[in-house]
Amino acid sequence: MSSFSRRLPVYLLLDCSGSMSGEPIEAVRQGIKTLLNELKGDPQALETACLSVITFASVAQQTSPLTELMLFKEPKLEASGMTALGGALKVLRECIDKEVRKTTDTQKGDWRPLVFILTDGLHTDEDEFDRQVENLKTLKVANIIAVGAGPYVDQASLKRITDNVLLMNSASAGDMAKFFAWVSGSIKVSSKSLDAKPGANIQLAPPPQGFTIVP
Amino acid sequence: MARKKKNVAKAILMDGSELEYVVSDNPPRGGMKHTYFTPNKKFAVQFFNEDKDANSPLIRARLENIIGLYNPTLPESEGGAMGNTEQTAKYFSRLFCWPVALVELPEFGIVCPTYPPQFFFDKKASKAGLNLAGKDKKSTWFTSRTSRFLEKGELGTFQTMLRLSISLARAVRRLHAAGLSHSDLSSNNVLIDPKTGSCVVIDIDSLVVPGLFPPEVAGTKGYIAPEVSATMELPLDSPDRKLPCAATDLFALPVLLYEYLLKRHPLDGPKIYSTASTEEDEFLQYGPKATFVENPQDTSNRPPDLQVTIHDLGPLLEKLFLQAFVDGMHDPDRRPTAAEWERALVKTWDLLQPCPNDQCSAQWFVLHDVNHPVCPFCGARIAPQDVLHLRLKRAIRGRRGQWNPVGEINLYDQMPLFAWHFLANTYPDEKMTDRTMRAYVSHQNGEWYLVNGSLSGMLSPRGSMVPPGQAVWLRQGEMFPACNHQDALLLEVLKG
Repeated sequence: MSSFSRRLPVYLLLDCSGSMSGEPIEAVRQGIKTLLNELKGDPQALETACLSVITFASVAQQTSPLTELMLFKEPKLEASGMTALGGALKVLRECIDKEVRKTTDTQKGDWRPLVFILTDGLHTDEDEFDRQVENLKTLKVANIIAVGAGPYVDQASLKRITDNVLLMNSASAGDMAKFFAWVSGSIKVSSKSLDAKPGANIQLAPPPQGFTIVP
Repeated sequence: MARKKKNVAKAILMDGSELEYVVSDNPPRGGMKHTYFTPNKKFAVQFFNEDKDANSPLIRARLENIIGLYNPTLPESEGGAMGNTEQTAKYFSRLFCWPVALVELPEFGIVCPTYPPQFFFDKKASKAGLNLAGKDKKSTWFTSRTSRFLEKGELGTFQTMLRLSISLARAVRRLHAAGLSHSDLSSNNVLIDPKTGSCVVIDIDSLVVPGLFPPEVAGTKGYIAPEVSATMELPLDSPDRKLPCAATDLFALPVLLYEYLLKRHPLDGPKIYSTASTEEDEFLQYGPKATFVENPQDTSNRPPDLQVTIHDLGPLLEKLFLQAFVDGMHDPDRRPTAAEWERALVKTWDLLQPCPNDQCSAQWFVLHDVNHPVCPFCGARIAPQDVLHLRLKRAIRGRRGQWNPVGEINLYDQMPLFAWHFLANTYPDEKMTDRTMRAYVSHQNGEWYLVNGSLSGMLSPRGSMVPPGQAVWLRQGEMFPACNHQDALLLEVLKG
């Protein structure tokens, strides 16, 4: 039966720059654990969702390849260095090209990937960032949600990546827990009622209290 | 470690009474509401995410009606639905998780009972690598490939799945009889416990009352009727836009029944509808081009490895599934009603046969053809001398000696029989109080007997009285009234 089932690829792009060290990065580690447990507790998510983690600091890399939930191994996260968000978007594109299945005459393809970007500051790789965001919105390779944590986030550059930008007050453990609970809620919504209309906007879970949507 | 003190708040209900609930940090959030629980976890207290919903007079009026006028879980004498007795109210309160009260303060909300404990997994339910303790039993766990992560004892049998199928059809029949439609029936909104063969319909508060309260959601993917999916792009007020209603419940209901009984989705087959994008492919699959995997005329979506099919569920269910998913797939008016599903499922229950193979995953199957007594799930064959059916016939009023067939029952050793197997106009539904065993089947040394337990006036094929404790010998071809009651059914013995 597996050949008839579509997968929902989920990419987490996580900021591991120096400013995330300490409580924030620990909260992210815990958050991934909680997220995994939450998703495994939902049969649709367990059956369809696949998870990958891309981290960005001075360089960007895929730390966990796209994997079904039961086989997913948590990445080892350390925080130090700069904020290569542009590099992360480049890695994201390469991974989507490589890992996401297209619908063909004989194979059910994957849904459009769901991408959550979490950052607490401004990107430091300006040129790469400019190159990557240039046609990102029009290509529609993924449904991207960018979430900024704390006061140093640059809303305008996040808006260049996607129309879906959210802000949370801080990168505290409490806010991080809310963020990951919301990500899991959104993945569950997606695996239930993803675009009945082709090309329609994805439905996200209602954002938690204290989060603001950037218009 | 010191335990964090619980933050208990007080809700004032519409009748002025108070109810305590625990305010948690990240309350579970649905599309419209978020949920807190009372300290004893017996009730859920739900508030709206958005002020406009909490303040909507339409939503308030809808909920007032749901709790009163339309409430099948409350007797009419206590303000519930018309004609509802204490007994039927009790019956339906097991099938629905129906809201019980409205909250006035601190803001407008509703109170629902929490689901009974059998609808939550315990920590022994799942295999290594997965902890489902406390998660609710959404039916997808049991009807998809995720069932491989569950312990065998959780999965139930074909018999328990048929039992809960009857309950669901009955619950939907009751809603529709009152002019309501659920409008979002899905694997998430009907929890099932295959172990005990029970189900409960939840998320009652978005009920649609045609003409009065319009639907708020399109439904859940896989359970949305094709015409609703296909017209979702049209504006809400377009005359061509199709919205959830009773006819769309009658698409979701058989999807769930099909999943329960055959462990697969009726639209999930190998067909690729479009290579333009996955989203387009899926839109066509569940919408304008939806094709039943077992459509006999169009086999383009048929999986190559179908073992058990609707044919194996017996003629009544086969007919209804074809009606729902071939004739009625894109023609809502042709879908069978919930009452038809209930009747067909109840009659199919009478054809159940225990599988002789104790390794069989289903343990029971529908033995509908005495000449082909083979378990479709494992291939085990029943010996011809171990197969016997009773055909039930009812006298046609005013036409002496003429009878109409009303059912057929498959007999097996130690099978219990009830009043509705012997009397016309007697049905095992919510109104039936008499659920005592009236007789049972005994199959000894190749012969079949019907042993009277407590059926008054039971008759033998020769017309003599058979008192309790005595038995009737059932021989091929015999035909006789079951008892001397004026509504007695005629029994005809049919061997394999």
